[in-house]
Amino acid sequence: MTGLIYKDFLALKGHLSTYVVFFVIYGGLCIAGVFSPSVLAGMVVLISIITPMTTVTSDDISRWNRFAVASPACRRGVVAGKYLFTLLMVLLSAVLVAVLLVVLALAGGLGDGSLAEYLLATLACGGIALLMNAVVLPLLLKFGAEKARMVSMALFLVVFGGTALAGLAVDSGFAFPAPPAWVVAAIPGLLAILSVGGFVLSYFIAQAVYAKKEF
Amino acid sequence: MKNALEVSHLTKDYGSFKLDDVSFTVPGGTIMGLIGENGAGKSTTIKCILNLIRRDGGEIQVLGLDNLRDEQAVKAQVGVVLDETTFHDGLTAPQVGKILAKLYPNWDMALYQRYLDKFGLAGKKPVKTFSKGMKMKLSLAAAFAARPKLLILDEATSGLDPVVRDEILDEFLDFIQDEEHAILLSSHITSDLEKVADYVTYLHRGKVAVSGAKDELLDTYGRLVCARSDLEQVDPALLVGVRTGQFGCEALVRDKHAFTRFYPGLTVDPVTLEDIMVFTVKGDAK
Repeated sequence: MTGLIYKDFLALKGHLSTYVVFFVIYGGLCIAGVFSPSVLAGMVVLISIITPMTTVTSDDISRWNRFAVASPACRRGVVAGKYLFTLLMVLLSAVLVAVLLVVLALAGGLGDGSLAEYLLATLACGGIALLMNAVVLPLLLKFGAEKARMVSMALFLVVFGGTALAGLAVDSGFAFPAPPAWVVAAIPGLLAILSVGGFVLSYFIAQAVYAKKEF
Repeated sequence: MKNALEVSHLTKDYGSFKLDDVSFTVPGGTIMGLIGENGAGKSTTIKCILNLIRRDGGEIQVLGLDNLRDEQAVKAQVGVVLDETTFHDGLTAPQVGKILAKLYPNWDMALYQRYLDKFGLAGKKPVKTFSKGMKMKLSLAAAFAARPKLLILDEATSGLDPVVRDEILDEFLDFIQDEEHAILLSSHITSDLEKVADYVTYLHRGKVAVSGAKDELLDTYGRLVCARSDLEQVDPALLVGVRTGQFGCEALVRDKHAFTRFYPGLTVDPVTLEDIMVFTVKGDAK
């Protein structure tokens, strides 16, 4: 299975450098005050969704999965490898963003927000990334990247479009009803349970789906 | 001599095509050639053995293990070349080796490197720059380097030039010197199988049309070449298929020894595997 994860990183090699450049440019723009540092936290979700999809696309093009399933990795290993790779990408991008935020804090580029707030936002984005992958990965493994791409894009639009709309509504003076204090207090825990639990549940669903797939 | 592969009553129904009650055995230390026209069920059989598709019936034992219950243990001992290369275009041959070394427990990197050198693939060129033949060589190098006991090769010699094909066939013969090793080789190039196969299974429309030791088959079947008037005297039950031309007739004789006893005046020539395939299809069409 480590071979499959290694293969995914090799397949992403060209793209990874692009992502690093993205981070550096956005980091620079945040220092320059063009973007809020919270944009960096959003990058965790973006990269964690795009990278598994990219590897599934290249697997589909080369028809690699036929070979992988015929190897000792078997179907279970292919699914486990893809989930572990996704988890690694979420962690890596979150760590990279955290490092950038610390650098920004040291450079005095965080503006009004505190480092702790942005790190918390990065953590929350990591949770959202896990949750979104929990929905997308079984579809990717079942239908392949081409068919699952539309669903992923729709999901991405719903989450980010919804957030943007809510932001616009607040900016234009709309007052959302304030949730009870206990709900606010429980949100981090709920998000953690939902994202981790959803990811684990998704793994078992993907295993069941992939076990029936024919190559 | 233990059996490396036992396929018993294998059935897979796609609706429009059915692999129907396919059975054959590959003893250790031998090469089994799987032949058949396009769509006859060769790849479907191989996919069932590798559990790439779900079978509807039958049993498959690989090296004494059930191919589903002991899937991982089976696949650790099986080297595979599929009908098309499945390595990512951007990878180089050494990178492919590093990936597979982490997948196959018996991976032999030195052997892999030897094959890369031998096949001229050792450089840092990505797979996308390889010709079809080079890609097939890469797949073969990977299959050998997994140090398998059973090699399953789906059209592995197609796309290779005759010189390289001959070298590869020699590698196959070397491989089966160990009686624990065996090869299942599906191929359209029946001349290759005539060179190396010990056994042949001919699939026709999803069923086993002919299966047995290659030498016995070639010794039993015969090719009758005669005039139309001679053919009319022959009992059709002794023939598998007939080809009638302007200047004469050709027919596949099921048992040439019995045939020459019945018709000593007619000449029966030796057959090739291709003759058996072509005439069986013709007989079926009739």
